[in-house]
Amino acid sequence: MNILVVEDEPKAGNYLLNGLQELGYSVSLARDGVDGLHQALETAFDVIVLDVMMPKMDGWEVLRRLRKEADTPVLFLTARDDIADRIKGLELGADDYLIKPFSFAELVARLRTLTRRGPSREEEQLQIADLQIDVLKRRVTRAGTRITLTNKEFALLHLFATHQDQVLSRSLIASRVWDMNFDSDTNVVDVAVRRLRLKIDDPFQLKLIHSVRGIGYRFDTQP
Amino acid sequence: MNTRRHYSLTLRLALIFALLAFALLATLGVALYRELERELIMRDDAALIYRIDQLRNLLNDSNTLDLIKTKPELFQNMLGNRESVLSIAAPGQKPLLTVNPGNIDLPSIPPVPKNHELTLADVHHFPSINGVPFATVAASIDSGDLGSLQVTTGRLMTERTSVLASYRLSVYILASIAALILALVGYLLVHRGLLPLRRLARHAQGIGVGNLAERLDSHGAPKELLPMIDSFNTMLERLAKGFVQLGQVSTDMAHELRTPINNLLGETQVALQQHRSIESYQQLLASNVEELERLARMLDNMLFLARTDPASALRQRQELSAWDEVERIAEYFEGLAGDADISIHAEGEGVIWAEPMLLRRALANLCANAIKYGAPRTELEIRAVPSADGIHLRVSNQGETIAAEHLPRLFERFYRVDESRERSAQSNGLGLSIVATIMQLHNGRYSVSSEAGVTCFELFFPRRED
Repeated sequence: MNILVVEDEPKAGNYLLNGLQELGYSVSLARDGVDGLHQALETAFDVIVLDVMMPKMDGWEVLRRLRKEADTPVLFLTARDDIADRIKGLELGADDYLIKPFSFAELVARLRTLTRRGPSREEEQLQIADLQIDVLKRRVTRAGTRITLTNKEFALLHLFATHQDQVLSRSLIASRVWDMNFDSDTNVVDVAVRRLRLKIDDPFQLKLIHSVRGIGYRFDTQP
Repeated sequence: MNTRRHYSLTLRLALIFALLAFALLATLGVALYRELERELIMRDDAALIYRIDQLRNLLNDSNTLDLIKTKPELFQNMLGNRESVLSIAAPGQKPLLTVNPGNIDLPSIPPVPKNHELTLADVHHFPSINGVPFATVAASIDSGDLGSLQVTTGRLMTERTSVLASYRLSVYILASIAALILALVGYLLVHRGLLPLRRLARHAQGIGVGNLAERLDSHGAPKELLPMIDSFNTMLERLAKGFVQLGQVSTDMAHELRTPINNLLGETQVALQQHRSIESYQQLLASNVEELERLARMLDNMLFLARTDPASALRQRQELSAWDEVERIAEYFEGLAGDADISIHAEGEGVIWAEPMLLRRALANLCANAIKYGAPRTELEIRAVPSADGIHLRVSNQGETIAAEHLPRLFERFYRVDESRERSAQSNGLGLSIVATIMQLHNGRYSVSSEAGVTCFELFFPRRED
């Protein structure tokens, strides 16, 4: 995936560049709006991360000019938790937004969603190591043992299984599994993951759910 | 401010005073004038009748008749002025005597018969002879040897007219002067009467952020101003309270920020003191992330609380199935509740007209609290009860009863029943104030009761208006 990051704040620009590169993406960094727009028009990127508050040319202007020429997916970053601001961005043709401060895992998940071309076909059968998931029958077995899960436990496992190797943040999990789109003060997600582990990991040698401290959880056959 | 549309109360009252004074005095003047006019006419008429009566007596004497014939100038002098008219004539003949210095055309009027007593009603009035009112009376007189004579006398009212005219003028002048004086006095009085108002305005102007505790002084103020002073003082009271609360929120927030920032600073500085293993650095960074997430959440909550515009917050407002929502919340908390050994019972029907994210956030905050303070092996109840004008959502748990004095303050920002016990990374004291804000945005209501170990939070969402 080829990503352009347009961000004038040096520290933010650097960590986005490093973080995304470490995940194996090819990343270009522009330090202001003029350079950003220039690069965006020169090269075909898969997705653009665009900061709104920038000197010389702000994100809105970059987006406006970009949209005249290209429809590259754009995720904008804003520090203003202002509904009018978000709507403005979406009206100008942005595809998604994140409000600062945001979690890096969240950003990665959103970028993946934006670059996924077309709706992915829902797999009916999932197999991860010795774990088998029959999505239609909502049946889970591991090493031949049938595991009974509650509705939400199944939804959580399904989310993990369809996002293998990715770090999923707590807010993303809460949003996908329970449709709770806000940062809760509770540790509901941790509790749910612990309960799921109790059923699908604890009795077995190979652990599939891994905690990533400070970020969230990762579902992986590798530790 | 558009000053052109503001009128002066003082000026207006003064003008009204003047107008009223003039109208009253002028009316009084006109009434008196009419009375005087009537009196003067009666007096003049009586004089005419008296004259005829005298002539009746005189003309009975033949000597007098001789005298009239021989020396008519005596009679002319007798009348004494140019306004009087007298004519004595036998019917159908040349008059015996005519005294008419003004040469007036005498209108002919029917004479009063001989044996009739003359009354005021017998006097005839002509409004204008050569421009002047004229009164006249005629009578038949028995003069013995000359037979029946007709006497006509009259008087031009020149003098009376001028007296009345000057009286009229006086009335108008006096009324005008009185009106002017009253206008002036009225202006001064009202100006003086409004002094307390100007004093209040000065006082109010002096009240600012620094001295919000000050109140307007009602001492010496007129009774009419008391309600205004009272409501102004009540407003100041509310403002002062809000201001103190706002200040308190800022202070509280700064204090809340202190803990995570202190942790971040301290842990990081200690970590940098010497070289450490990769693992301990990782541990530090993860711990930093936790603190930073806590800060981010607090920030998010504070910004949420500052959001007060319902129009943009409720853009997604829709009718939601109450059963779906309570079921969703119950599922969301099932694990957490299970850990605390609390079972969740959720039931409900009807529709909730709400913004889904805000509704879920409110319910989630209530449930998180209910689980935190619920006693083990009890039930958490989430219930939706529709009513005629909306729907009531109740979240109740069993645990310690909250003392009554805390209940009204539970929804305040950063308010905690027990300072020491509840300060933790999971609680920032904003949960219930967020619930309150969400309910205010929805034009709903919120309340809490705590009795006999059961604490029940109730939210009311009004139903959709057509």
